[in-house]
Amino acid sequence: MNAWLYQHAQTLKLVLSRFKTNMLSTLLICLAIGVTVALPSLLYAVLDSANGLVSNVKSESQISVFLALNHDDGLVANISSALNKEDQIKRFKFISKDDALKDLQAADTNKDILNSLEKNPLPDAFLIEPKQLDNASIATLKSILSKLDGVDEVIVNGAWLKRLNALLALGQSALTIVAALLAFAIVAVIGNTIRMQILTQQAEINLSQLIGATKSFIRRPFLYAGALYGLLGGLFALAITAAVITQLNQALAPLVADYQTNFALRLPNFSVSLIICALALLLGVIAAYFAVSKSSSQT
Amino acid sequence: MITFDNVTKRYPGSHEALTGVSFSIARGDMVYVTGHSGAGKSTLLKLIATIERPTSGIVLINNQNVSKLKEATLPFMRRQFGMVFQDHKLLYDRNCYHNVALPLAINGITGHEAGKRIRAALDKVGLLAKEKVMPITLSGGEQQRLAIARAVVSRPSILIADEPTGNLDRNYAADIISLFKAFQQVGVTVIIATHDALGSAGTTNKVLHLNHGKLEMAMAENAAPQSTGAVT
Repeated sequence: MNAWLYQHAQTLKLVLSRFKTNMLSTLLICLAIGVTVALPSLLYAVLDSANGLVSNVKSESQISVFLALNHDDGLVANISSALNKEDQIKRFKFISKDDALKDLQAADTNKDILNSLEKNPLPDAFLIEPKQLDNASIATLKSILSKLDGVDEVIVNGAWLKRLNALLALGQSALTIVAALLAFAIVAVIGNTIRMQILTQQAEINLSQLIGATKSFIRRPFLYAGALYGLLGGLFALAITAAVITQLNQALAPLVADYQTNFALRLPNFSVSLIICALALLLGVIAAYFAVSKSSSQT
Repeated sequence: MITFDNVTKRYPGSHEALTGVSFSIARGDMVYVTGHSGAGKSTLLKLIATIERPTSGIVLINNQNVSKLKEATLPFMRRQFGMVFQDHKLLYDRNCYHNVALPLAINGITGHEAGKRIRAALDKVGLLAKEKVMPITLSGGEQQRLAIARAVVSRPSILIADEPTGNLDRNYAADIISLFKAFQQVGVTVIIATHDALGSAGTTNKVLHLNHGKLEMAMAENAAPQSTGAVT
């Protein structure tokens, strides 16, 4: 076991010393891999942050039922009992036109306009939270509600949310496709680099085979090199992602301030960073394995 | 320890390099393989070193039939041999020390123990002072000796040398041959292919003389000088 570990340590040392002698080209390759990995990482960071925004909003998905402006006094009670019977409704809240007006007056910006009005222009309303949030059940509920006597208008507040969700789903599949394509690119870049290294070390490989080196002995340094290219590329990618996100957040700040939220793009957390590095490393090993087995089958 | 029984080797798309060769070599022997260029000397050595497998016939190395060995066990078989190749196969991207280090690394020997052995091997061939020198700057004879250092550093039980004196002048060649004799004297089986008679002249060694892939004589004793004399 110790000897085995020692051999691997020796291999790592050998590969690192080869990296050191070709410092510039190693750095450039890792940078290329870093940029390639950074693209899907950034896309992921944006989607992840947007998803966080949406999940905050989700609970606010409601249906507003506005009553006709001039209605009988009994109507509110009638509709209340009708809503109570509807089993698709989780809960509902009545907001009288007076309450609504008070809410509006509470906001400073509206004061002048509201004071100039002779009478309350707002309708009585019910805020309804449906049990099911999918499109079909919301549509059914909406049609039931709009058929009730005295109901003027039914508005589904979550419509924009649905569109955003669809957009995010689109973004997610785009991420998957981009990541898959770039994974190919990484395998190609690392595979080609390893292939070139194999060519420059062909004499050593041939000699080693003749004097009793096992296949795994010959393969090992190249697999390590592939893994290290991947890992260093992954680390570069994290650095690039962090730098870009910090920059974007600064640019986003004034825009976000206008919407009175504290939205900011999130940096990849520890486990995501770990996964990014591990995937890059894995791709490096796979690329190296292909390169080595292709060239060893030729000899 | 090495037995050939009716061994034939044919390379794909080529004539038979060896035809029906039978002989045996005992532990501690010093054997010359002689013959004209293209007679099959290198093929014979490659068959011994398990670099090639016979087309037919049986090659036994330490009582193991090479034809029946699995591909994966061949590397371990090859580690019993110290090889001096016809074209040296030195690695010109590293210094003498690291050239000699390669077989040890393959055997999993590194670090302090490796350093001791590498310096001992370099010392034996008289290149200790040049351990940090790149092999390209060495003379032909020095390169040959470096190749020998690399072949013996892992203390093989069988030393195989293909034309070790090929391009050397007589003085150098004699040096090299006496080096091999020194290894034989400590119990190493030495097998040397040579197209000239110099190495085997005046010795009491076994000679395998090949002519167009056929073994013309497999003999010991003092018959050697006459047989090889005829070739040169």
